[in-house]
Parts: sequence; structure tokens; C-alpha cells
Amino acid sequence: MFLRMLKFSWRSIWRNARRTVITGLAVGFGLASLLFTEALMQGMTVHMIGATTNPWMGDVQIHRRGFLDTRQLGLTVERPDAVLELLSQDTTIAAYTPRVLSPASLSSARELKPVTLTGVDMSTDPDVTLLESAVETGSYFTGDSMEMVLGYRLASDLKVELGDVLVVTAARTDSGLASSMFLLSGICNFGNEQLDRYSAFVNIGSARDLLQLGDAFHEIAIVLPDAHMAGDTSLALWDRYTDRENIAEGWTELAPQISSMLDLVNVSMVIMSAILFGLVIFGIVNSLFMSVYERMFELGIMKAVGTRPGTIGYMVIMEAFWLGVISTATGLAIGLLIIWITSGTGISFGEIEFSGITLSRPIFPELSPGRAWAYPVFTLLLTTLAGIFPGIHAARQNPAESMRRSL
Amino acid sequence: MNEDVIVTEGVEKTYEDSGVPVPAVRGIDYRLARGEFTAIIGPSGSGKTTFLNLIAGLDTPTSGKVWLSGRCISDMSGRDLSDFRRDNIGFIFQAYNLLPVLTVEENVEYIMLLQGVPKPERHERVMDILEKVGLAGYRDRRPLRLSGGQQQRVAVARAMVSNPSLVIADEPTANLDSQTSGELLDMMRRLNEETGMTFLFSTHDEIVMERARKVVVLRDGRIDGNADPEDFQ
Repeated sequence: MFLRMLKFSWRSIWRNARRTVITGLAVGFGLASLLFTEALMQGMTVHMIGATTNPWMGDVQIHRRGFLDTRQLGLTVERPDAVLELLSQDTTIAAYTPRVLSPASLSSARELKPVTLTGVDMSTDPDVTLLESAVETGSYFTGDSMEMVLGYRLASDLKVELGDVLVVTAARTDSGLASSMFLLSGICNFGNEQLDRYSAFVNIGSARDLLQLGDAFHEIAIVLPDAHMAGDTSLALWDRYTDRENIAEGWTELAPQISSMLDLVNVSMVIMSAILFGLVIFGIVNSLFMSVYERMFELGIMKAVGTRPGTIGYMVIMEAFWLGVISTATGLAIGLLIIWITSGTGISFGEIEFSGITLSRPIFPELSPGRAWAYPVFTLLLTTLAGIFPGIHAARQNPAESMRRSL
Repeated sequence: MNEDVIVTEGVEKTYEDSGVPVPAVRGIDYRLARGEFTAIIGPSGSGKTTFLNLIAGLDTPTSGKVWLSGRCISDMSGRDLSDFRRDNIGFIFQAYNLLPVLTVEENVEYIMLLQGVPKPERHERVMDILEKVGLAGYRDRRPLRLSGGQQQRVAVARAMVSNPSLVIADEPTANLDSQTSGELLDMMRRLNEETGMTFLFSTHDEIVMERARKVVVLRDGRIDGNADPEDFQ
């Protein structure tokens, strides 16, 4: 009986093929646009997390407690050798690099600018940051103690070119001032205002010598196998590298504005889904009501010959189910095709800046399997449920009244 | 043989039109014996269809009682009434009788499907009744590919296939030409004689009246006596 009713309801929806196709396409396009938007947002999320963590930050950073708030030169990582030893044996991380950071003034022959003097460990930095590949003019560090790499915006502000002399002046740990001369060896472009305008990169040894830090450092940047792991509070690494003196924090805490923006994207998707699914429900309910009213006489006959009211309602819900199947299949086909095409070509947003990050490279939409199933399943479920109201309406009709009104 | 299939006692039905009560059936007492082939006639608005609907349990009387095969159907719930109609009454309407998405065979077996009759038995009974109505070669056709007369024959087959105690036909010849109407009625009369099944018609059509064994005249919602079928021949 169930299979027969399923077969009859399938045939019923094709009695008005044009309406079924239009409804299927309308709901299908809605689902396709939702899938594509979700894929675009996921692609943008990956892009923005990458743009936040890959160039410089890393997925996790270890600092002495209070350093990020005060930037005090003396707040270096406690037990640096022990921490580095632990990191070298840690198989849950992909790479790490220590850094020295200090506020300083940088002067050229014509200009003076405040910068963050950044001591870079050239042996480990390329595994963690994009500084090496960001160098567009000149070269990355070779080990010479006088080398300095600047962002192209800072180089422009200071009106310097490769080979020009630059003087760094910074406070030492003993509160005295120290100066040192460097030669501009490379100009980089991260596509990030902070890095391109306010950072001066030197070898970590030169920075330590200037600031009299010995073997100390202020920061360790860590790359995890997957950036999303940084949001997993159950990972052992948080306890491993966090103690009374030092603290390990993920990019979600280090760049809360990005994390908030991603939360906002998720909320936007929920709102958009709710609106779209609301429209889907109204579309299906409308289509089914039209179908029920067109067949009032026929439904009256079905009831007259002994079809129970519940069976009539059930049949209308089955029709809704079939409309859902057609709509979902259409939406999946269109949505996945668009995602497949754009995930190969990418979507370029020009040089648009979003939450302080320049989307200079194309966004590649990507859809996680979980979401790829969730939206279609939800669409099918909702379209089927949307059949309940017209189904109840059809079931409650008095057969004599149905036939009288239809004639 | 003379057991009553239908008994009505003081059956009334009043509709409301913009708050104004409109009586359609006014206290009818009626009995129909098993095996009868009876036509209810009357002018438009006399209450024929309403009376048939009340007898068939398609509508509920404002007052009065209806017994069908010894059971009072006036107080039955919607579900019980559906099951009772399915098992006891066959219906033939004037047009659009069949479900257009089903084939001839599926239309005829529909009621047996609702009854849960096993497939082999359904098939056997469908083929048997289609043979009787002369449509054995049309079982895979959809109704829209049949003529009006053929569609009504399928409706007759559907109405009779589950062996109901009563077949109700509301203006079954309204959309047919006189020759087709005559053939359809002759076939129904023959089936009535072969099976002993009770037929009750509402009609304007003299072809139905002249083939009926009894003719009941309805006027202004009341039975206005009987007519002699021979008067219409």
C-alpha cells in the first residue's frame, strides 16, 4: 500500500508538469544559491584564516604572560631552552620559530618612523611564515648581521631603496638606549598593512645583540597541521605550553576580530538559511494548495469510495516529499556544478580589504561534506513537512462538499 | 431477498446560505429492498443528490437517521464511515469518476487495495469485472484515453468489484449520448440481475427511468410518490 501510494503521488505531481518543474527549479535554485554561498563563505574563511596565520602569526603563539598587553622588553619566554626542546619533540605541531620583538624607531637619511623591530630566526622562519616568499625586491636573510628587510610601504615612507643605510634606535633591558646600523637587503609585500608599514625584520642574533637579550626571545610562532585545530580547546598543547609564566594562545584569541568576523559569517548563514527555507516552505505549501484545490472533486471521489482522511493527507505529504526530492536533486546538481567550476577558477575580489585583510588572491569556494549533506537533507525534510498543512486541509474536506464545490 | 438495504427515518438536511437556512431534504422516510434497481427522479433542486449523499454517508443529516445494511451510519466517525463506504457502497458519479493518474486496472483495484486484498486476488477480480463490462483489453490505459462511455463502464467495474451491498449512481448518464447511455444501463441492469446487487440512481434521464424497476419522485426535498417505469418507455 505504501509503495503504491508513493507511486500514485509521484504520478500526481506530474499531472501539472509545468508547475512541478517551476517549483522544483525555484526551490532548487534556492538550495543551489545556499550551497554556493556556504562554499564561498567557507572558502573566504579558509582564505582569511590563512591570510591571518600564514604570513606571520602562525596558528599558535607562546609568550610570557603580560607581554602582549605591555610589550615590555624584559617579558621574554621563561625557560626558553626547555620550551624549544619540548617543541622539537612535539609531533602534534608542524613547525615553530622563535622571535624577538621590540618597539623601536627607524630612521633613514630623510625620514624617521616608529616600527616593531622583529628578530627573525632564518633557519626556522621559512617553515612558519611567508616572509621569505613575500620578498619582492632584494633577498631574504643570508646570515649577515647588517641585513634588514622592510615592507614596501615602510620603505616608501622612509624613501629608501636596496642598499640604503637605516638606523634602529631602541630601549635596552637596562633602560638605556641602543642604536645599530643596518643595510636594506630586501623589500617585502605581505598584503597586510601592519606588516608592510610598521615592521622591520632583522636576524634574531642582531636583534638580541642590540637589545642585550642573550639567548632570550619574546615569542614562538607555531604552525599546526590544520589551522582549525587552534580552536580546539581539548588539545594537549595548551596545557603543555601554558604554565604560571608562559601562555600559549591560538589565532582565535590572538586575532579576535577575525574570529568575531567568522562568527558573524556563521550567523549570517543561519539567517540566510532561515529566510530561504521559509521561502521554500511557502513555495511548497502554495504549490500543494493549488494542486489540492484543483483536485477537490477527485479527492472527494477518493474519499467517497472509502479512502480514509489520514490516507488522503498522507498522499499529499508524499507529493510534498517528491517535490522535495526533485527540488533537492536540482539544487544539488546546480549548486555542486557551480561550486566545482568556481573552485577551479577561483573568484577574484580585486584588492578588496575585509577586516584588515586584503583579499588580493582569488577565493576558492569549498564545501565540507557535512554541510554538503546538511542543506539538501534539511531541504528535503522541510519540503516534506511543508506538505502537512495542505495534507491536513485535504484530509478534513467533506467529500460531498468537495464534489459540490468542484462542479 | 426482501431485506432492506437502506432505511431512512425523518432524514433532514438544511444548508445555510449567507446565514439563511435552506432546507434541501425535509424529513424523508424511505426503504430500499436488497436487489432493487431504483431511480430517484425530480427536478433540479429537488434534493436528489443531497438525499443520495446522506444515504451514502458522504454528508451528515441535520436530523434523522440512516441505516445501511442494518447499521446506523448517521453517528459514525469519519474514519469508520470511510471504512464502511469502502466495504459496503459502490459509487458512480456523473463525470470525472476515475483517478486520472491511475490506469484502468489500478482504478478498478483501488478499493481492493484500500481493503488490503492480496495482489493475485485483486488481479483476478479486476480481470473478471473488466471482462464483464467489456473492457478487458483496456486495463493499461489511462482514463483520458477512453471515451465517456468507456470511462463510465470502468466506474461501474470499480463500483462493483468489491461486491458492495449497494451501488449508488448519481446522474451516471449525464454526459453520455443516448445510445451509450442505453448500453451502459443495459449492462448495469444485466449485472444487477446476475449478481443481485442493489442499484440506486438519481437521474433526469428517461433512459435510466425506463430501465429502472422502481422510480421514486422527489420534489422540494420530499418523496412525492412513485412513478411507473413503463410511463417512460
